[in-house]
Amino acid sequence: MKHLVHKELRLAVIPLTWCFLLAGFLVLVPGYPILISAFFICLGIFYSFQQGRETNDVLYTLLLPVRKRDVAAARFLTVCIVQGCGFLLITLLTILRMTVLSQAEVYRSNPLMNPSPVFLALTLLIFAAFNVCFLGGFFKTAYQIGKPFLAFSAVTLLLVFAGEALQHLPGLGFLQTPQGERLGLQCLCLAAGAVLYAAATVLACRRAMKRMEQIDF
Amino acid sequence: MAMLEVNGLRKVYPGFTLQDLSFSVEPGTVMGLIGRNGAGKTTTLKALLNLIRTDGGEIRYFGLPLQAHEKEIKQRIGYACGAVDYYPRRKIADLLAVTRRFYPQWDDALCSRYLRAFSIDPGKTPRELSEGMRVKLNLVPALSHHAELLLLDEPTSGLDPVSRAELLDVFAFLRERGVAILYSTHITSDLEKCADAITYLHQGCLRASAPMAEFLASQAAAGFGTTLEEIMVNREKEDLHETFGA
Repeated sequence: MKHLVHKELRLAVIPLTWCFLLAGFLVLVPGYPILISAFFICLGIFYSFQQGRETNDVLYTLLLPVRKRDVAAARFLTVCIVQGCGFLLITLLTILRMTVLSQAEVYRSNPLMNPSPVFLALTLLIFAAFNVCFLGGFFKTAYQIGKPFLAFSAVTLLLVFAGEALQHLPGLGFLQTPQGERLGLQCLCLAAGAVLYAAATVLACRRAMKRMEQIDF
Repeated sequence: MAMLEVNGLRKVYPGFTLQDLSFSVEPGTVMGLIGRNGAGKTTTLKALLNLIRTDGGEIRYFGLPLQAHEKEIKQRIGYACGAVDYYPRRKIADLLAVTRRFYPQWDDALCSRYLRAFSIDPGKTPRELSEGMRVKLNLVPALSHHAELLLLDEPTSGLDPVSRAELLDVFAFLRERGVAILYSTHITSDLEKCADAITYLHQGCLRASAPMAEFLASQAAAGFGTTLEEIMVNREKEDLHETFGA
Protein backbone atom coordinates (compact mmCIF):
# COMPACT_ATOMS: atom_id res chain seq x y z
CA MET A 1 0.00 0.00 0.00
CA LYS A 2 2.89 2.34 0.81
CA HIS A 3 4.31 1.90 -2.70
CA LEU A 4 0.91 2.36 -4.28
CA VAL A 5 0.29 5.63 -2.46
CA HIS A 6 3.79 6.76 -3.46
CA LYS A 7 2.94 5.92 -7.07
CA GLU A 8 -0.34 7.85 -6.79
CA LEU A 9 1.37 10.93 -5.37
CA ARG A 10 4.28 10.82 -7.82
CA LEU A 11 2.44 9.96 -11.02
CA ALA A 12 -1.34 10.16 -10.67
CA VAL A 13 -1.84 13.38 -8.71
CA ILE A 14 -1.11 16.24 -11.10
CA PRO A 15 0.32 19.60 -9.92
CA LEU A 16 -2.99 21.28 -10.77
CA THR A 17 -4.65 19.28 -7.98
CA TRP A 18 -2.26 20.79 -5.44
CA CYS A 19 -2.81 24.26 -6.95
CA PHE A 20 -6.54 23.90 -6.38
CA LEU A 21 -5.86 23.58 -2.65
CA LEU A 22 -5.30 27.34 -2.78
CA ALA A 23 -9.09 27.59 -3.16
CA GLY A 24 -9.01 27.24 0.63
CA PHE A 25 -8.11 30.95 0.70
CA LEU A 26 -11.67 31.70 -0.48
CA VAL A 27 -12.47 31.46 3.24
CA LEU A 28 -10.91 34.92 3.54
CA VAL A 29 -13.12 36.49 0.85
CA PRO A 30 -15.80 38.66 2.45
CA GLY A 31 -19.43 37.94 1.52
CA TYR A 32 -18.54 34.78 -0.36
CA PRO A 33 -20.26 31.38 0.00
CA ILE A 34 -17.14 29.89 1.57
CA LEU A 35 -18.34 26.25 1.35
CA ILE A 36 -17.53 26.46 -2.35
CA SER A 37 -13.85 26.24 -1.40
CA ALA A 38 -14.37 22.53 -0.59
CA PHE A 39 -15.96 22.03 -3.99
CA PHE A 40 -12.96 23.59 -5.74
CA ILE A 41 -10.56 21.35 -3.83
CA CYS A 42 -12.55 18.33 -5.04
CA LEU A 43 -12.57 19.77 -8.56
CA GLY A 44 -8.77 19.75 -8.41
CA ILE A 45 -8.83 16.06 -7.50
CA PHE A 46 -11.25 15.44 -10.37
CA TYR A 47 -8.66 16.83 -12.80
CA SER A 48 -6.18 14.17 -11.67
CA PHE A 49 -8.76 11.47 -12.46
CA GLN A 50 -9.36 13.05 -15.86
CA GLN A 51 -5.62 13.05 -16.55
CA GLY A 52 -5.37 9.48 -15.21
CA ARG A 53 -7.93 8.30 -17.72
CA GLU A 54 -5.96 9.85 -20.56
CA THR A 55 -2.70 8.30 -19.39
CA ASN A 56 -4.10 4.79 -18.77
CA ASP A 57 -3.16 5.08 -15.12
CA VAL A 58 -5.42 2.27 -13.92
CA LEU A 59 -4.05 -0.22 -16.44
CA TYR A 60 -0.47 0.71 -15.57
CA THR A 61 -1.26 0.20 -11.89
CA LEU A 62 -3.03 -3.10 -12.43
CA LEU A 63 0.00 -4.49 -14.24
CA LEU A 64 2.13 -3.84 -11.16
CA PRO A 65 2.34 -6.58 -8.54
CA VAL A 66 -0.68 -5.43 -6.57
CA ARG A 67 -4.10 -6.79 -5.77
CA LYS A 68 -6.95 -5.21 -7.72
CA ARG A 69 -8.75 -4.19 -4.54
CA ASP A 70 -5.65 -2.39 -3.27
CA VAL A 71 -5.69 -0.11 -6.33
CA ALA A 72 -9.04 1.28 -5.17
CA ALA A 73 -7.90 1.52 -1.54
CA ALA A 74 -4.74 3.42 -2.49
CA ARG A 75 -6.74 5.85 -4.59
CA PHE A 76 -9.11 6.53 -1.66
CA LEU A 77 -6.14 7.02 0.67
CA THR A 78 -4.52 9.46 -1.75
CA VAL A 79 -7.71 11.47 -2.11
CA CYS A 80 -7.97 11.59 1.69
CA ILE A 81 -4.40 12.92 1.87
CA VAL A 82 -5.21 15.72 -0.60
CA GLN A 83 -8.47 16.47 1.20
CA GLY A 84 -6.60 16.42 4.51
CA CYS A 85 -4.16 19.06 3.22
CA GLY A 86 -7.07 21.18 2.01
CA PHE A 87 -8.91 20.75 5.30
CA LEU A 88 -5.81 21.73 7.27
CA LEU A 89 -5.48 24.96 5.27
CA ILE A 90 -9.19 25.75 5.63
CA THR A 91 -9.04 25.04 9.37
CA LEU A 92 -6.06 27.37 9.86
CA LEU A 93 -7.81 30.14 7.91
CA THR A 94 -11.02 29.53 9.86
CA ILE A 95 -9.12 29.93 13.14
CA LEU A 96 -7.52 33.09 11.74
CA ARG A 97 -10.92 34.58 10.89
CA MET A 98 -12.41 33.54 14.23
CA THR A 99 -9.55 35.12 16.20
CA VAL A 100 -7.16 37.68 14.73
CA LEU A 101 -9.55 38.84 12.01
CA SER A 102 -12.75 38.58 14.06
CA GLN A 103 -13.06 42.35 14.41
CA ALA A 104 -12.05 43.20 10.85
CA GLU A 105 -14.45 45.68 9.29
CA VAL A 106 -14.89 43.69 6.06
CA TYR A 107 -16.29 40.68 7.91
CA ARG A 108 -18.62 42.61 10.27
CA SER A 109 -21.86 42.23 8.32
CA ASN A 110 -21.93 38.91 6.52
CA PRO A 111 -25.32 37.51 5.51
CA LEU A 112 -23.65 34.27 4.39
CA MET A 113 -21.98 31.57 6.44
CA ASN A 114 -19.09 32.59 8.69
CA PRO A 115 -16.05 30.35 9.12
CA SER A 116 -16.74 28.28 12.22
CA PRO A 117 -16.59 24.64 13.40
CA VAL A 118 -20.00 24.14 11.75
CA PHE A 119 -18.53 25.38 8.47
CA LEU A 120 -15.69 22.89 8.91
CA ALA A 121 -18.23 20.11 9.54
CA LEU A 122 -20.04 21.00 6.31
CA THR A 123 -16.68 21.07 4.49
CA LEU A 124 -16.10 17.50 5.66
CA LEU A 125 -19.58 16.53 4.45
CA ILE A 126 -18.74 17.90 0.99
CA PHE A 127 -15.52 15.86 1.00
CA ALA A 128 -17.54 12.82 2.10
CA ALA A 129 -19.99 13.45 -0.76
CA PHE A 130 -17.05 13.47 -3.17
CA ASN A 131 -15.76 10.18 -1.82
CA VAL A 132 -19.19 8.52 -1.98
CA CYS A 133 -20.59 10.01 -5.20
CA PHE A 134 -17.49 10.56 -7.30
CA LEU A 135 -15.01 7.93 -6.11
CA GLY A 136 -17.80 5.39 -5.52
CA GLY A 137 -19.21 6.10 -8.97
CA PHE A 138 -15.81 6.02 -10.65
CA PHE A 139 -15.03 2.56 -9.32
CA LYS A 140 -18.18 1.12 -10.92
CA THR A 141 -16.24 1.18 -14.19
CA ALA A 142 -12.79 2.57 -13.29
CA TYR A 143 -13.34 4.73 -16.37
CA GLN A 144 -16.41 6.97 -16.21
CA ILE A 145 -15.92 10.28 -14.44
CA GLY A 146 -18.62 12.55 -15.92
CA LYS A 147 -21.75 11.15 -14.27
CA PRO A 148 -20.11 10.62 -10.86
CA PHE A 149 -18.86 14.21 -10.85
CA LEU A 150 -22.31 15.48 -11.86
CA ALA A 151 -23.82 13.54 -8.94
CA PHE A 152 -21.23 15.00 -6.57
CA SER A 153 -21.89 18.52 -7.87
CA ALA A 154 -25.63 18.16 -7.30
CA VAL A 155 -25.12 16.94 -3.72
CA THR A 156 -22.62 19.75 -3.07
CA LEU A 157 -25.09 22.33 -4.34
CA LEU A 158 -27.69 20.98 -1.89
CA LEU A 159 -25.18 21.04 0.98
CA VAL A 160 -24.14 24.62 0.21
CA PHE A 161 -27.76 25.77 0.01
CA ALA A 162 -28.62 23.86 3.17
CA GLY A 163 -25.59 25.27 4.99
CA GLU A 164 -26.50 28.81 4.04
CA ALA A 165 -30.23 28.41 4.70
CA LEU A 166 -30.30 26.42 7.94
CA GLN A 167 -28.75 29.21 10.00
CA HIS A 168 -31.76 31.41 9.24
CA LEU A 169 -34.28 28.86 10.56
CA PRO A 170 -35.65 29.35 14.07
CA GLY A 171 -33.55 27.56 16.68
CA LEU A 172 -30.60 27.05 14.35
CA GLY A 173 -29.06 30.49 14.75
CA PHE A 174 -26.11 28.95 16.60
CA LEU A 175 -24.86 27.70 13.22
CA GLN A 176 -23.93 31.27 12.27
CA THR A 177 -22.90 32.84 15.58
CA PRO A 178 -19.66 34.69 15.00
CA GLN A 179 -16.51 34.86 17.10
CA GLY A 180 -16.82 31.58 18.89
CA GLU A 181 -20.23 31.89 20.59
CA ARG A 182 -21.84 28.50 21.32
CA LEU A 183 -18.46 27.00 20.54
CA GLY A 184 -19.19 23.75 22.42
CA LEU A 185 -22.27 23.01 20.33
CA GLN A 186 -20.44 23.95 17.16
CA CYS A 187 -17.53 21.66 18.03
CA LEU A 188 -20.03 18.87 18.57
CA CYS A 189 -21.26 19.47 15.00
CA LEU A 190 -17.64 19.30 13.79
CA ALA A 191 -17.09 16.00 15.60
CA ALA A 192 -20.29 14.62 14.02
CA GLY A 193 -19.05 15.81 10.61
CA ALA A 194 -15.72 14.08 11.15
CA VAL A 195 -17.43 10.83 12.14
CA LEU A 196 -19.72 11.02 9.11
CA TYR A 197 -16.76 11.74 6.81
CA ALA A 198 -14.80 8.78 8.15
CA ALA A 199 -17.77 6.39 8.07
CA ALA A 200 -18.88 7.41 4.56
CA THR A 201 -15.33 7.20 3.21
CA VAL A 202 -14.63 3.79 4.73
CA LEU A 203 -17.93 2.37 3.47
CA ALA A 204 -17.43 3.84 -0.01
CA CYS A 205 -13.87 2.50 -0.08
CA ARG A 206 -14.93 -1.02 0.90
CA ARG A 207 -17.60 -1.00 -1.78
CA ALA A 208 -15.14 0.29 -4.39
CA MET A 209 -12.63 -2.44 -3.46
CA LYS A 210 -15.30 -5.09 -4.04
CA ARG A 211 -16.39 -3.50 -7.30
CA MET A 212 -12.82 -3.27 -8.51
CA GLU A 213 -12.57 -7.06 -8.32
CA GLN A 214 -15.61 -7.37 -10.59
CA ILE A 215 -14.43 -5.05 -13.39
CA ASP A 216 -13.07 -6.53 -16.59
CA PHE A 217 -10.16 -4.49 -17.95
CA MET B 1 6.62 -28.21 -11.06
CA ALA B 2 5.06 -26.19 -13.88
CA MET B 3 5.61 -22.43 -13.85
CA LEU B 4 2.05 -21.94 -15.02
CA GLU B 5 -0.88 -24.33 -15.03
CA VAL B 6 -4.21 -23.41 -16.57
CA ASN B 7 -7.07 -25.84 -16.04
CA GLY B 8 -10.51 -25.47 -17.60
CA LEU B 9 -10.27 -21.69 -17.93
CA ARG B 10 -13.57 -20.19 -19.02
CA LYS B 11 -14.63 -16.63 -19.73
CA VAL B 12 -18.00 -15.69 -21.17
CA TYR B 13 -18.57 -12.42 -23.00
CA PRO B 14 -21.68 -11.56 -24.98
CA GLY B 15 -20.81 -13.04 -28.39
CA PHE B 16 -17.58 -14.74 -27.37
CA THR B 17 -16.65 -17.53 -25.00
CA LEU B 18 -13.25 -18.76 -24.01
CA GLN B 19 -13.95 -22.40 -23.30
CA ASP B 20 -12.26 -24.90 -21.04
CA LEU B 21 -8.73 -23.80 -21.82
CA SER B 22 -6.03 -26.00 -20.30
CA PHE B 23 -2.28 -25.91 -20.80
CA SER B 24 0.90 -25.63 -18.79
CA VAL B 25 4.27 -23.90 -19.19
CA GLU B 26 7.35 -25.68 -17.90
CA PRO B 27 10.52 -24.01 -16.55
CA GLY B 28 13.06 -23.03 -19.21
CA THR B 29 10.63 -23.33 -22.09
CA VAL B 30 9.07 -20.90 -24.54
CA MET B 31 5.42 -21.46 -25.36
CA GLY B 32 3.86 -19.68 -28.33
CA LEU B 33 0.21 -18.75 -28.11
CA ILE B 34 -1.19 -18.59 -31.61
CA GLY B 35 -4.54 -18.06 -33.26
CA ARG B 36 -6.12 -15.59 -35.62
CA ASN B 37 -7.52 -12.23 -34.47
CA GLY B 38 -10.35 -12.75 -32.02
CA ALA B 39 -9.32 -16.32 -31.18
CA GLY B 40 -8.95 -15.47 -27.48
CA LYS B 41 -5.21 -14.91 -27.05
CA THR B 42 -5.49 -11.51 -25.39
CA THR B 43 -8.45 -12.67 -23.31
CA THR B 44 -6.30 -15.56 -22.11
CA LEU B 45 -3.41 -13.27 -21.19
CA LYS B 46 -5.77 -10.86 -19.43
CA ALA B 47 -7.19 -13.74 -17.42
CA LEU B 48 -3.66 -14.86 -16.55
CA LEU B 49 -2.96 -11.36 -15.22
CA ASN B 50 -6.29 -11.20 -13.36
CA LEU B 51 -7.32 -8.19 -15.42
CA ILE B 52 -10.64 -9.91 -16.12
CA ARG B 53 -12.89 -12.10 -13.99
CA THR B 54 -13.04 -15.69 -15.08
CA ASP B 55 -16.22 -17.73 -15.15
CA GLY B 56 -14.55 -21.01 -14.37
CA GLY B 57 -11.32 -22.91 -14.21
CA GLU B 58 -8.15 -22.47 -12.25
CA ILE B 59 -4.89 -20.59 -12.83
CA ARG B 60 -1.83 -21.60 -10.79
CA TYR B 61 1.65 -20.10 -10.90
CA PHE B 62 4.49 -21.98 -9.22
CA GLY B 63 1.79 -24.21 -7.71
CA LEU B 64 0.00 -21.23 -6.12
CA PRO B 65 -3.54 -20.18 -7.08
CA LEU B 66 -3.58 -16.72 -8.70
CA GLN B 67 -6.58 -15.36 -6.83
CA ALA B 68 -5.11 -16.01 -3.39
CA HIS B 69 -1.50 -15.05 -4.19
CA GLU B 70 -1.87 -12.35 -6.82
CA LYS B 71 0.71 -9.95 -5.39
CA GLU B 72 3.44 -12.54 -4.69
CA ILE B 73 2.90 -14.15 -8.09
CA LYS B 74 3.09 -10.84 -9.97
CA GLN B 75 6.39 -10.09 -8.24
CA ARG B 76 7.80 -13.30 -9.72
CA ILE B 77 6.51 -12.84 -13.26
CA GLY B 78 7.02 -10.21 -15.93
CA TYR B 79 4.51 -9.10 -18.50
CA ALA B 80 4.41 -6.79 -21.45
CA CYS B 81 1.44 -6.13 -23.68
CA GLY B 82 2.57 -4.43 -26.88
CA ALA B 83 3.92 -0.90 -26.66
CA VAL B 84 3.93 1.36 -23.61
CA ASP B 85 0.72 3.37 -23.79
CA TYR B 86 0.65 4.79 -20.28
CA TYR B 87 2.02 8.08 -18.99
CA PRO B 88 3.27 9.14 -22.43
CA ARG B 89 4.52 12.51 -21.15
CA ARG B 90 6.38 11.32 -18.06
CA LYS B 91 10.10 10.70 -18.15
CA ILE B 92 11.02 7.04 -18.53
CA ALA B 93 13.39 7.39 -15.56
CA ASP B 94 10.45 8.55 -13.38
CA LEU B 95 8.26 5.66 -14.52
CA LEU B 96 11.01 3.14 -13.79
CA ALA B 97 11.75 4.76 -10.41
CA VAL B 98 8.13 4.22 -9.40
CA THR B 99 7.87 0.74 -10.91
CA ARG B 100 11.05 -0.59 -9.27
CA ARG B 101 9.66 -0.08 -5.75
CA PHE B 102 7.08 -2.82 -6.32
CA TYR B 103 9.67 -5.52 -7.02
CA PRO B 104 11.92 -6.76 -4.18
CA GLN B 105 14.11 -8.48 -6.78
CA TRP B 106 14.52 -5.38 -8.97
CA ASP B 107 18.04 -5.11 -10.38
CA ASP B 108 19.08 -1.56 -11.28
CA ALA B 109 22.21 -2.73 -13.09
CA LEU B 110 20.16 -5.15 -15.18
CA CYS B 111 17.62 -2.42 -15.95
CA SER B 112 20.41 -0.07 -17.12
CA ARG B 113 21.85 -2.87 -19.23
CA TYR B 114 18.54 -3.46 -21.02
CA LEU B 115 18.03 0.29 -21.50
CA ARG B 116 21.45 0.47 -23.13
CA ALA B 117 20.90 -2.70 -25.14
CA PHE B 118 17.60 -1.35 -26.46
CA SER B 119 19.10 2.14 -26.99
CA ILE B 120 16.47 3.77 -24.78
CA ASP B 121 17.32 7.13 -23.20
CA PRO B 122 15.70 7.21 -19.73
CA GLY B 123 15.62 11.01 -19.96
CA LYS B 124 13.06 10.81 -22.75
CA THR B 125 9.30 10.36 -22.48
CA PRO B 126 7.46 7.41 -24.10
CA ARG B 127 5.78 9.74 -26.60
CA GLU B 128 9.22 10.69 -27.93
CA LEU B 129 9.88 7.05 -28.86
CA SER B 130 8.79 5.22 -31.98
CA GLU B 131 6.21 2.41 -31.71
CA GLY B 132 8.95 -0.21 -31.88
CA MET B 133 10.99 1.51 -29.19
CA ARG B 134 7.92 1.67 -26.95
CA VAL B 135 7.51 -2.08 -27.38
CA LYS B 136 11.11 -2.48 -26.20
CA LEU B 137 10.48 -0.07 -23.34
CA ASN B 138 7.57 -2.19 -22.18
CA LEU B 139 9.91 -5.15 -21.95
CA VAL B 140 12.45 -3.37 -19.71
CA PRO B 141 10.50 -3.59 -16.41
CA ALA B 142 9.44 -7.14 -17.30
CA LEU B 143 13.09 -8.14 -17.68
CA SER B 144 14.61 -6.13 -14.82
CA HIS B 145 13.37 -7.99 -11.76
CA HIS B 146 14.64 -11.51 -12.46
CA ALA B 147 11.21 -12.79 -13.40
CA GLU B 148 10.85 -16.55 -13.50
CA LEU B 149 8.06 -16.42 -16.08
CA LEU B 150 7.36 -13.84 -18.79
CA LEU B 151 3.91 -13.27 -20.28
CA LEU B 152 4.24 -11.32 -23.49
CA ASP B 153 1.54 -10.15 -25.86
CA GLU B 154 2.91 -9.43 -29.33
CA PRO B 155 6.40 -8.59 -28.03
CA THR B 156 7.99 -8.48 -31.47
CA SER B 157 5.29 -6.66 -33.41
CA GLY B 158 6.41 -3.24 -34.58
CA LEU B 159 10.08 -4.16 -34.24
CA ASP B 160 12.52 -4.11 -37.13
CA PRO B 161 14.14 -7.44 -38.12
CA VAL B 162 17.38 -6.64 -36.25
CA SER B 163 15.54 -5.76 -33.03
CA ARG B 164 13.39 -8.88 -33.37
CA ALA B 165 16.48 -11.00 -33.75
CA GLU B 166 18.03 -9.30 -30.69
CA LEU B 167 14.93 -9.95 -28.66
CA LEU B 168 14.84 -13.59 -29.68
CA ASP B 169 18.46 -13.83 -28.52
CA VAL B 170 17.40 -12.37 -25.16
CA PHE B 171 14.65 -14.98 -24.94
CA ALA B 172 17.13 -17.75 -25.70
CA PHE B 173 19.50 -16.37 -23.04
CA LEU B 174 16.69 -16.26 -20.46
CA ARG B 175 15.46 -19.72 -21.38
CA GLU B 176 18.94 -21.15 -20.76
CA ARG B 177 18.70 -19.72 -17.24
CA GLY B 178 15.41 -21.49 -16.57
CA VAL B 179 13.04 -18.60 -17.31
CA ALA B 180 9.78 -19.69 -18.92
CA ILE B 181 8.12 -17.53 -21.56
CA LEU B 182 4.55 -17.54 -22.81
CA TYR B 183 3.93 -15.23 -25.69
CA SER B 184 1.30 -14.58 -28.21
CA THR B 185 2.25 -13.39 -31.65
CA HIS B 186 1.13 -13.23 -35.24
CA ILE B 187 4.73 -13.46 -36.42
CA THR B 188 4.86 -17.23 -36.48
CA SER B 189 8.35 -17.30 -37.97
CA ASP B 190 9.65 -15.92 -34.64
CA LEU B 191 8.04 -18.84 -32.83
CA GLU B 192 9.63 -21.33 -35.17
CA LYS B 193 13.01 -19.94 -34.10
CA CYS B 194 12.48 -20.07 -30.36
CA ALA B 195 9.32 -21.86 -29.19
CA ASP B 196 9.43 -25.24 -27.49
CA ALA B 197 5.67 -25.65 -27.42
CA ILE B 198 2.59 -24.26 -29.11
CA THR B 199 -0.89 -23.54 -27.83
CA TYR B 200 -3.28 -22.93 -30.68
CA LEU B 201 -6.61 -21.21 -30.06
CA HIS B 202 -9.55 -21.06 -32.42
CA GLN B 203 -12.74 -19.12 -31.65
CA GLY B 204 -12.11 -19.35 -27.93
CA CYS B 205 -11.43 -23.08 -27.97
CA LEU B 206 -8.18 -24.90 -27.50
CA ARG B 207 -7.28 -26.54 -30.80
CA ALA B 208 -3.95 -27.94 -29.66
CA SER B 209 -1.35 -27.55 -26.96
CA ALA B 210 1.73 -29.65 -27.54
CA PRO B 211 5.52 -29.59 -27.84
CA MET B 212 6.56 -27.87 -31.05
CA ALA B 213 7.90 -30.98 -32.82
CA GLU B 214 4.83 -33.00 -31.91
CA PHE B 215 2.51 -30.19 -33.00
CA LEU B 216 4.25 -29.74 -36.36
CA ALA B 217 4.34 -33.49 -37.01
CA SER B 218 0.66 -34.02 -36.22
CA GLN B 219 -0.43 -31.07 -38.37
CA ALA B 220 1.81 -32.15 -41.24
CA ALA B 221 0.38 -35.67 -41.03
CA ALA B 222 -3.13 -34.20 -41.25
CA GLY B 223 -2.07 -32.32 -44.37
CA PHE B 224 -2.18 -28.79 -43.02
CA GLY B 225 1.43 -27.94 -43.90
CA THR B 226 4.85 -27.94 -42.38
CA THR B 227 5.24 -24.40 -41.02
CA LEU B 228 3.20 -22.63 -38.37
CA GLU B 229 1.97 -20.07 -40.89
CA GLU B 230 0.83 -22.75 -43.35
CA ILE B 231 -0.86 -24.69 -40.57
CA MET B 232 -2.74 -21.64 -39.26
CA VAL B 233 -3.79 -20.44 -42.70
CA ASN B 234 -4.91 -23.88 -43.89
CA ARG B 235 -6.82 -24.72 -40.73
CA GLU B 236 -8.56 -21.34 -40.62
CA LYS B 237 -9.39 -21.63 -44.34
CA GLU B 238 -10.89 -25.05 -43.75
CA ASP B 239 -13.15 -23.60 -41.06
CA LEU B 240 -14.15 -20.80 -43.41
CA HIS B 241 -15.05 -23.31 -46.11
CA GLU B 242 -17.11 -25.34 -43.64
CA THR B 243 -18.92 -22.20 -42.50
CA PHE B 244 -19.83 -21.05 -46.00
CA GLY B 245 -20.10 -24.52 -47.54
CA ALA B 246 -17.57 -23.63 -50.24
